[in-house]
Amino acid sequence: MERNDRKKGSVPYEFKTWRDFPPMNVSLGTMLHNRTGSWRFIKPIYEDKIPSCQAGCPAGNDIEAWTKLIQRGEYERAYWYLKREEPFPAILGRVCFRFCERTCNRDTLDQQVGIRALERFVGDQVPLSTPYPELPSYHGKSLGVVGSGPAGMSAAYFARLLGFQVTVFEAMPVLGGMLRVGIPAYRLPRSIVDEEFVGLKNMGIALEPNTAVGRDISLDECAHRFDYLFLAPGMHRSRSLGISGERGTTVISGLDLLKKIALGEDLQLGRKVVVVGGGNTALDAARSALRLGSTVTIVYRRTEGDMPAHAEEIAEAREEGVRFRFLAAPECIEENPNGGDASLVCCTVEQGKPDESGRRRPVKREGELFGVKADTIVTAIGEEAFFDPCAEILKKNNGVLRVDQELRVDALGIATGRIFAGGDIIGAPHTVVHGIAAGKRAAIAVDCHRKGVPFSEIIRRITIGEGPGISFSAYKGWEPLNAVSRNLKSVVRPEQVVYDYFERAPGIQSGGISAAERRKNFSPYEETLTAVQAEKEAARCMHCGRCTECDNCLILCPDVSVLVKGEGTFGYVFDYDYCKGCGICFTECPRHAISLVDEETPIGSV
Amino acid sequence: MQKIFASPREKMVGEELVQPGMLSCQGCGAALSMKLALKGLGERTIIIIPASCWGVIIGAYPFSSLRVPVIHVPFETGAVVASGVKAAMDIRREADVTVMTWAGDGGTYDIGLQSLSGAAERNEDILYVCYDNEAYMNTGIQRSSATPLGAWTTTTPAGALKEEPKKDMEKIMLAHGVPYIATASVAYPDDLVRKFEKAKDIKGTRFLHLLSPCPPGWRIEAAKSIAVTRMATQSGVFPIYEIEDGTYRMNIVPAAMIPVEDYLRSQGRFGDMSEDMMQSVQEQVNGRWQELLAQAEGSKK
Amino acid sequence: MAPHRQEIKEAVPVRQVIKGNIAVSHGVRLSRVKVISAYPITPQTTIVEELSEMCATGVLDAKFIKVESEHSALAAVVGSETAGVRSFTATSGQGLLLMHEVLHWAAGARLPIVLTNVNRAVAPGWNIWADQTDSASQRDTGWIQIYCESNQEVLDSVIMGYRLAEEVLLPVMVIYDAFFLSHTSEVVDIPEVSEVDAYLPPFEPEYRLDVRDPRMFGGMMSPDYYYEGRYVMHRSSRDVLHVYPRMCREFQERFERNYDLCERYRTEDADLIIMTAGTISSVCRIAVDRAREAGKRVGLVKLRLFRPVPDAHWRDALGSAARVAVIDRNLSAGLGGVFASEVKNALFPLTKRPAVYSVIAGLGGRDVTPQDVTGIIDQVLGADDPGETPIFWGLRE
Repeated sequence: MERNDRKKGSVPYEFKTWRDFPPMNVSLGTMLHNRTGSWRFIKPIYEDKIPSCQAGCPAGNDIEAWTKLIQRGEYERAYWYLKREEPFPAILGRVCFRFCERTCNRDTLDQQVGIRALERFVGDQVPLSTPYPELPSYHGKSLGVVGSGPAGMSAAYFARLLGFQVTVFEAMPVLGGMLRVGIPAYRLPRSIVDEEFVGLKNMGIALEPNTAVGRDISLDECAHRFDYLFLAPGMHRSRSLGISGERGTTVISGLDLLKKIALGEDLQLGRKVVVVGGGNTALDAARSALRLGSTVTIVYRRTEGDMPAHAEEIAEAREEGVRFRFLAAPECIEENPNGGDASLVCCTVEQGKPDESGRRRPVKREGELFGVKADTIVTAIGEEAFFDPCAEILKKNNGVLRVDQELRVDALGIATGRIFAGGDIIGAPHTVVHGIAAGKRAAIAVDCHRKGVPFSEIIRRITIGEGPGISFSAYKGWEPLNAVSRNLKSVVRPEQVVYDYFERAPGIQSGGISAAERRKNFSPYEETLTAVQAEKEAARCMHCGRCTECDNCLILCPDVSVLVKGEGTFGYVFDYDYCKGCGICFTECPRHAISLVDEETPIGSV
Repeated sequence: MQKIFASPREKMVGEELVQPGMLSCQGCGAALSMKLALKGLGERTIIIIPASCWGVIIGAYPFSSLRVPVIHVPFETGAVVASGVKAAMDIRREADVTVMTWAGDGGTYDIGLQSLSGAAERNEDILYVCYDNEAYMNTGIQRSSATPLGAWTTTTPAGALKEEPKKDMEKIMLAHGVPYIATASVAYPDDLVRKFEKAKDIKGTRFLHLLSPCPPGWRIEAAKSIAVTRMATQSGVFPIYEIEDGTYRMNIVPAAMIPVEDYLRSQGRFGDMSEDMMQSVQEQVNGRWQELLAQAEGSKK
Repeated sequence: MAPHRQEIKEAVPVRQVIKGNIAVSHGVRLSRVKVISAYPITPQTTIVEELSEMCATGVLDAKFIKVESEHSALAAVVGSETAGVRSFTATSGQGLLLMHEVLHWAAGARLPIVLTNVNRAVAPGWNIWADQTDSASQRDTGWIQIYCESNQEVLDSVIMGYRLAEEVLLPVMVIYDAFFLSHTSEVVDIPEVSEVDAYLPPFEPEYRLDVRDPRMFGGMMSPDYYYEGRYVMHRSSRDVLHVYPRMCREFQERFERNYDLCERYRTEDADLIIMTAGTISSVCRIAVDRAREAGKRVGLVKLRLFRPVPDAHWRDALGSAARVAVIDRNLSAGLGGVFASEVKNALFPLTKRPAVYSVIAGLGGRDVTPQDVTGIIDQVLGADDPGETPIFWGLRE
């Protein structure tokens, strides 16, 4: 009798008369003819879903897949896979706000996976100047990108992958926008930004620094030169405090301070620096001033918990010696006529009712004033746009460009329907990853226009979960890593993960450079993980929603109805001839990579 | 990748000695137990099946879903028919063939207890497995002495729930002095397979007690079969341990125990239990757990 | 307890004076049984003891499983027999009754087990003496039943039992009286083992538990299959009626002892034929001779094979007589004598049949002497009509 011959099945024995009976009650065949699949009313399917990290990432980074590749030791493949959705891992791996880690389902078990550190590891695997392999040929349409910040870089990259001829204009002498002149070098070395641009150039993207649209070339000219335009000039002007004395010589904006340092320009910085503001620019300015030898105090009108800056930044700043003064609202700046320290006069503030941001509104305690002595006052209470070609529209629209559903700027009066905008300028959150997301979205919007397909439908199809992340791979029709049917809408929640199958393991601890050492210079102090560390940390990823061939479904199927697909092919297949639809595989899949669907659902339709 | 099983992949995923087409209910723990058991035992195994669910699951004459020899036997005779088969295999000089009795809780705790006791006392070289779904399930859910306290069955309906605690078979077997006693369940497949592999190579009477979930009898969804069984161990209701020549070893010690109530409330069959009853079960479980831990500690010395 | 140890050591044909239980043990030894499982019960215990001794000394190369009940004893050999090894068990009275479920099982499973049953009365109250009710009440289990009159017959029937069982694939019950045979010494010719080997080949079943050919034995049978399964068993049982006589003839050729399905004594011209089984047969022979001396034409048919019912043989042996008196050392409450009822059944097809007189005697070991049988003969000859009620010989009224 042959084993496991389920393809042949067994022919039931036919006893026509008693003469056909063997002399004793002994079996003559298998039960394979009894196709118990007929018992089902629901059936399991393998269906990859969206892990919570990818759903949390504004750019829709397919984190789980390249983490899997790290575990397999395929670092270079991980790099290029990552770049399908997020073009600059060496950068994001250093500066991203880690929205992904906040939603990581592993947090329920012990601690979130160190995704940013893993992305940095991947980003450092391949020389940044290497162009994306197998670039598509040009289809003849061109895209002009205004602004070489994250949104502009990202739009250029994805548009090139969609076959556009791309030119990027940058007003400043250096490329990279905030990456280059906003984020301090101790966080993001300049060489990395510069190398990324070499990589973009090697992809065939034309780069025009020192070319300000509006000043060196008109918007009109750009609109004529290119089939499409993408405006991503960012917001590079500091908002004014609106207090007297703000234009004094001791006052400098945070953005200006950081830019001067970045461009190596002359900077008159006092010994006693006060920074007004609570966002990342304020922290970056404060920590930069500290490194230049000043004592620094940050003055903020709300509490620490209300600060928009990253908690990590605040903690490190404090360790390095930055002082903080909370619940203090600047009233005016008094210069010292004798040339000594100026004074930032502040009013004590108490917390009132919550405002639109959900934070408690600062309410001045009238009359309770005090002065903070400083010889340089840095203002960093927010950024605003200055982009001359759109000055009127910006003024009318609260300082942002309004775009329609297709990301096109309305009311420009020229090149109607061919000018798109994104990033900070349209009011997106001021983070690098949101900029990346904006560029990706814009590239697809432009491509949809080129192809004459409705962008809103496309976006609906390729949106990950509820958004805002979108899948470029889905737009391009690229096969996912394990080529299992993929559901972009279904995001894995913690209660869908079976934590019993995972052992607690501590996450990586950050390196040991002391604050005293750090504040001495602008050298980067965070180290890239070693390969051993990276694989260990990657092993903590639970691969929510994605099959890892852990064999759990196969081993726990009571009816032997899960089969390995076969040599070299990833994954399993259900033997629907026998699967009774009990659902154990669904419940026990540690990572919710199986779905239960109605028995009537045709296979392959999901 | 997250490696769930310590056993090598070829063992857990290799050729199956169980074929589909079985007559088991959806989510049947007994079917899964057999599949896993045979992974540990291999094809040189003969199975003796007294009246129980597996008497039906295997298939009807003239068909069998198992790729090993099987003999169905009268209800009370699981252990003694195995003794006879083993004697014959020794005579045929095939002493390496594992002779395994695969009996339900009824055929072990109740009607089969005499022949099991006889075989254990003689230290027959057989592997006796009780797959315990905690009632006479094959005949439609009647109580056995393995039914836990407070459980509903057709013969312990609401108003007359089972008042007696589950009989402790491990202690009974320990009293017979057999070389190996162990508990296991389908919620911990790695441990279960390992125990079968281990038991295979021990001489003398080996007793394996498997907690075998039964969706219709326990009043649970088939899909929750394994999860509920896991809770049995996580709550201490079904501790997983082994006793080798009198030495105790705890195999699964949960990092944090879950309340017994969580386990009881996960199943419809405990739906009529009062708070007091649940509390007394918690106390009994706590006591037994402490006792086992102490035994294991004591064994280490 | 080893008075006959010197007998055991010898492997040459030997004429000895031995008890019935010892004769059984020799039969088991000579049949090269490999697995024995038994539970002690008076008056079978000396079989168990003897076989234990034989195994311990190596005279008998077999495994002896000393189980904890008779039910288990038969179950154990169900296991070993299904695994293809010749097996044996023995019991008596209550033990046989306890085996009842497994008796059905062994026959239904077509296992060629030989079981020697010492006929003992059924309880309550405890009675260890000769009575056939224990085996008679198992007549529906499908076992072949052979009743023995002498220790020689017992020994020979064990050997022939294996030969028969393994050919037709049905278990054989060799039955003999408590104490009258089990514990009474008689002259027995113990065959030489090589002679028995020539008569009884090794057991080689077509189907057995084997990891190289994995099959399921005894699986659930639906109404679609069960009927034919039982029919096949019944047919095999009926096959015994021509298979067994052939084996008896072969036995006679080799061992010069004559057995048949039933045996006739002075029946050729008999007006009255007594029919009985067990040691009462010996007593009846004496009474038949005395009756003949007194001028009465009386004969005896000794019932040997009881299952399957050798109806044609019985008709042939009894049909010519005017009267048949069936002596039952058993009583089926509410029916009467078991043998009598079966004999009537067998004679029914005859257009001209003898009058059948049912006689119950010797229940619970009460002695049946030649005088008793003479009395029975006279009573039967003196009664024109058998009537509905059996003659309860010796009943205190």
